[in-house]
Amino acid sequence: MIDAADLLWLAVRFPLLGLEVHRRKDDHRPTALIEANRVTQVDALARRAGIRVGATLATARSISPQLRHLQRDVEAERKRLERLALVGYRYSSRVSIAPPAQVLVETRGSLRLFGGLAALAHDLAARYRLLGHETRMAAGATPLAALALARAETVAMGLPCPSASNQALRDVPIACAGFEPRDVERLANMGIRRLGQLLDLPLPELGQRFPPTLLDHLHRLTGRKADPRQPVQPPERYRFRVHLLAGANDKNALLAPMRHLIHKLTRRLAARELGARLLVWTFKPLSDRTASMSVRLAEASADAAALLRLSRLRLERTGLPSDVTSVFLRADLVTPLMPAGADILGANHGGGVPFPVGKRADLVDLLTARLGDDAVRALTAMDDHRPEAAWAATPVAAGARATTPSMAKRGARPLWLLDPPAPVAAQRFTIESGPERIETGWWDASQARDYFVATAASGGRCWLYRDRWRRWFLHGHFA
Amino acid sequence: MQKQFLGRVHPSPEASAALAAGGRSLADAERRTAQALRASAYSSKVLWRARDFASGSTLGRPVAAIATGFSSLDAVFEGGGWPRAGLTELFCPAPGIGELGLVAPALAELSRADARWLAWIAPPFVPYPPALAAAGVDLAKTLLVTPSSSGEALWALEQALQTGACSAVLGWPCQIDFAQTRRLLLAARQGGTWGCLFRQVAAAREASAAELRLRLSPRTEQRLRVDVLKRRGGWPVENIELVLNAVDGGDEAE
Repeated sequence: MIDAADLLWLAVRFPLLGLEVHRRKDDHRPTALIEANRVTQVDALARRAGIRVGATLATARSISPQLRHLQRDVEAERKRLERLALVGYRYSSRVSIAPPAQVLVETRGSLRLFGGLAALAHDLAARYRLLGHETRMAAGATPLAALALARAETVAMGLPCPSASNQALRDVPIACAGFEPRDVERLANMGIRRLGQLLDLPLPELGQRFPPTLLDHLHRLTGRKADPRQPVQPPERYRFRVHLLAGANDKNALLAPMRHLIHKLTRRLAARELGARLLVWTFKPLSDRTASMSVRLAEASADAAALLRLSRLRLERTGLPSDVTSVFLRADLVTPLMPAGADILGANHGGGVPFPVGKRADLVDLLTARLGDDAVRALTAMDDHRPEAAWAATPVAAGARATTPSMAKRGARPLWLLDPPAPVAAQRFTIESGPERIETGWWDASQARDYFVATAASGGRCWLYRDRWRRWFLHGHFA
Repeated sequence: MQKQFLGRVHPSPEASAALAAGGRSLADAERRTAQALRASAYSSKVLWRARDFASGSTLGRPVAAIATGFSSLDAVFEGGGWPRAGLTELFCPAPGIGELGLVAPALAELSRADARWLAWIAPPFVPYPPALAAAGVDLAKTLLVTPSSSGEALWALEQALQTGACSAVLGWPCQIDFAQTRRLLLAARQGGTWGCLFRQVAAAREASAAELRLRLSPRTEQRLRVDVLKRRGGWPVENIELVLNAVDGGDEAE
């Protein structure tokens, strides 16, 4: 058991994270990150051009007219930070994130394996550089100390000894120590600019003059108070494989290993009350190219029989190489299983006979497995005056509720639509009513059409239009 | 259920009176009495008549049906509407003569009262969503299935009927034989689904297991002539004329 006092925290700061989340490979212009009309981060090119942090956007642009400026995307930075933290998981199981741009790795248990803190930090920095991220690192006895040191950039990397770390900590500017901006300003007014000066002050008096958050922060910084961190959890992977003793040339021969893998998967999923929405099968032959197929489900499922049935149906449509020696199964889009039935209030939308959503989804899965994703679609109506733009066939999502927008009053619309419209000879029709002029938007191919309701020789009522060049098209049947 | 044998009736007081009045024979009086008695048996549902079949509550088992929205059809169909679990065939000479207008009221009713899918399998054109919505069909329950071959269309049809995940399945199969219609009928019964097949007129001559077969022919001014070729509990009925309305979607342009 490692004593809490022995912990060694490595803080990794990404000084240009805001820029790096937006970085594109092909861009070689100076770039700056703008927040509240001020430059907050600059890349190497912009720095060389003379743009400084804190300059206004106007100043920066006058210095370098070709400057690319980006607005800060806090959400993207946070997501990137979580992914970067997973890299640290290679070095320790206690990795946490410290927004906006830092990652904390507890390294005490890993020092011997990686050959010391300096080697570990070097290795980690190389990994982040490969991912296109610049880093600043510092080690400290508490998370806050490490974070403050990494922010201050006053010390070189690699501080194995806590006493040296303590001395460095005293030199950290107050502004970098992570206090509230208001408190930093008040301390600065008192002439306290370094952390060391603050640590020398008597605590009771400090507590009288400042809010309790400052003392709390100070205690956690010096290790007088515990500072638990929420470690990041790497997402669980659901990957299974089986190697066959002899190459399989028959799809039926693959069913047994597939069943084996599916049962493995569903046992794991069921234990966590999870369901998969996407299965990816990969069949690897001895020499030929690998084949893969994916089975997409409308609803998360952990039902072995159903998954196997759908996989079988999909397998029938998939061409396989000869001599398959390895079968891989990967489950993606793993989500918690919803109890079958209606929504949380027990109500089923639209009233009437209740019916489990799961069974509706089963049919969709079954049909898509055999017919393909494009063959099974849901219909939606859009409020658009252009007939072609007023509808869409979209992939079915069992859970989602399609809403029909309130439609503006329009002319008569047919139940059958021809897609695309068919050119016809107007003599075969008797015009009943019309025209209704429909102009398509100028932003797509601009067209003006005159729509008529007409009776065909066969007796059915049709929806015809005449375009700008007086050509006639059949666009629908009033069935 | 108490059964009454109507043939042998004792002379009633009226018969005796008639006899006493002279002029008419006892047999005549007996016949009239038997008629009165029979009428009361019918009205109290003690006696079953084949003619009652269409009214729904026959053979002690109510037939579940979906109101068609056309009273002249409801009166003819067993149970008073399209079968809730069964197979219907519609024969149309050309697409777009009013076949959708015929089923649209039932689809609207099903989409309102039933949480299951309304599946369209291999339709010849796009069922136009704005018009469907205007006809009262819930698009959230509409499933469009476009298989690439006629064989897959049949497979999809059977699955959609059988799984019970659909309240109605509208299918446009290319060619199906008697055995296949029989399979589809059984699938529809099993799934509790109304299967409605739209077929060529020429196919009306072939044998089919569908319980309800209708031939449609267009008439002018949004009218549709329906000939019932086959129905349960009755003879074929010819020349029912329907007025299709409010299936155009929206109001007429001004």
